[in-house]
Amino acid sequence: MNTTPLSRRALLKGAGTLALSAAATTLATPFIGRAEAATLQLRALMWEPYVLPDMIAAFEAEHGAKFTTTFFDGNSEAYNKLKLGGTRDFDLVQADGFWSRLYHREGLIRDIDAAAIPSLAGVFPTFMEPDYQLLNAEDGGVRIGVPFCWGGYGITYNADHLSEEQVSSLEVLFDPAHAGHISASARFEENIALAAILVTARMGTQDSPRPDGKPFNPYVLSDDELAGVEALLIEQKRLLLTRYQDLGTLNNLMRSGAVWAAPEFSQVFRQLQELKRKGESEANIQHKLQPKEGGLGWIDSWMVTSGVEDSEKLELCHRFMDTILKPEHMKTIAGQAGTSTCVDIRALSTEEERELFLMDRTAELKGLHMFDQPSSPEKWERVWSNMEAA
Amino acid sequence: MTGALFRRWLKLDANHRFLLLTAPVVMFLLAFFVVPLLSILIVSLWRTESYQLIIDWNLDNYAAVLTEPSYRTFMLRSLTSALIVSVVCVALAWPIAYFVIRYGGRYKLLLVLGLAVPFLTGIVLRVIALQGVLGPIGLLNLGLMQLGLQPVQSLMFTKTATVVGLIYLFLPFVTTAIYLSLLNFDFKLLDAAKVFGAGNIRAFWEVTWPLNWVGTVIGFALTFVPCLAESVTPRFLGGADGTLYGMAMGSQFSATGTWALGAAMGVVLFVVAGLTLFAISRLVDIKRSGFTGAGSRD
Repeated sequence: MNTTPLSRRALLKGAGTLALSAAATTLATPFIGRAEAATLQLRALMWEPYVLPDMIAAFEAEHGAKFTTTFFDGNSEAYNKLKLGGTRDFDLVQADGFWSRLYHREGLIRDIDAAAIPSLAGVFPTFMEPDYQLLNAEDGGVRIGVPFCWGGYGITYNADHLSEEQVSSLEVLFDPAHAGHISASARFEENIALAAILVTARMGTQDSPRPDGKPFNPYVLSDDELAGVEALLIEQKRLLLTRYQDLGTLNNLMRSGAVWAAPEFSQVFRQLQELKRKGESEANIQHKLQPKEGGLGWIDSWMVTSGVEDSEKLELCHRFMDTILKPEHMKTIAGQAGTSTCVDIRALSTEEERELFLMDRTAELKGLHMFDQPSSPEKWERVWSNMEAA
Repeated sequence: MTGALFRRWLKLDANHRFLLLTAPVVMFLLAFFVVPLLSILIVSLWRTESYQLIIDWNLDNYAAVLTEPSYRTFMLRSLTSALIVSVVCVALAWPIAYFVIRYGGRYKLLLVLGLAVPFLTGIVLRVIALQGVLGPIGLLNLGLMQLGLQPVQSLMFTKTATVVGLIYLFLPFVTTAIYLSLLNFDFKLLDAAKVFGAGNIRAFWEVTWPLNWVGTVIGFALTFVPCLAESVTPRFLGGADGTLYGMAMGSQFSATGTWALGAAMGVVLFVVAGLTLFAISRLVDIKRSGFTGAGSRD
């Protein structure tokens, strides 16, 4: 074996290289650790107004995870995304009303561990079992989601143009006297369901035997009722200034006085009330939660998709739900999205906010028809297309 | 190792080399273009029931798309608006491109690139920006009120607003196509025409227009075909009465979950767009058009 004498220069060079390597490794260790942890991604399919950038940044820093979002508008849109392989693309998903149970029935979401979400203790009893069962599986009763925000789909109106008496009925949204000053959302399910409440009230069929043998649900309609809904929506179309695609558009239209009445989730009402308090808007905007014929209601929830199989990811999902349900974050959500929260935040709110966000009126939820899946999406699609083409 | 591979490459004949070079591209097109299109075709022959795709081979979706008045109305609306938008775009693009070519000097390229500036933002942002101009309290109405005139309530949320929005979106494509055509055009031909007694207008219609027909037709096609499938612009600008075919088709895959019907609508749209392109191609005689990209002129 040939040996080479170790020169002083070589020794110094080797020592220097070792020192540099050691320093580089030491300096880089925290970043390497963080980079490895960052491979854990939490991908949410959610409603855009509920994004809390500050909370998400803090959550990412605390758990070394990356939180990514994809937005949707209506429940059926999210459902379709999940059905088309979305359980592999998303870990967390939002839905409302009866949709959570549908997701569970179809294996799109998995059960969760309520004990791993201590913040659930702060939720109003109205939104927990036994009062509210829709976030528990139909059979075994396991928890499949956590309640988040709630509200109705009432009528936001300009009180300078419409009286409280006028908006006490859904008829106001179909009254030719207000042509050009009415707007409706682009969501086909809620437009049809709301019109169905009025049509069935006019026909007197709400208390008659229903197609599914259950109490009246505006998402389960007979063919005659659907025909009536189609005719009513066609009549209404001529009265609409537009179908708003997003809350920002409705906000602008109501603020400018172009629109006097529109069904919505009461977020725009609260946003404009806030602006009026600040002196930035003069519009006198009010909201009617439940018209006399009946109204629609919803409870938004968070769920974990069935694509989440490993315990580490599930644990992260639990932690996210626990974090976002903390009262301080729910308070921010209420202010930002303009929604009532399922978590009791009265201790953090003013008297005015308690009234504005219906914090003492959670029991009224029971009088509203929950958002649901149309009994026949195919028939509803035809009604909607016929209306759009008319 | 690399040397051995290179030697094996040198031993291949031209056909095998061609196959090896084109295989990745062919595979890519098969995987991401042909297969998705075929899957749409297959799904269009099934049916959807309560958000479930059911394998039940039938032509009912096509029967619905072709016979139900609502889908025919959507298609008719889309064809009409695409035609109006394309014609207006060509009419506006010609003077713009002509001006840039004739008077742009050394800033020609810069001026044409300037047309692409709106593309630095997304389509939704550009359409929403139009809301700020055409809306009930938009710039246009504010301007009218400043002049003591009545604001126009019906500017926004109408089919006209959709057409304006689409012209705004597609004008740069048509202008670029005509600009590139004019770039190849020899303007000395106009001088020759005038020497033989043609006036400006006659020289344009008998020399400039026919020799730039290909660029014009390409610009027209680049507008007409995408306009047929447009869904974002009518959604934000069109109002309650402005549903176009692309918008109705899109909602089948999102809101209503009637995918099989949506797939059939997609196939019908594909056929209509294909027929349009075929008809347009029949209008072009490359060799007589002055188009220099078609090889040597004989």
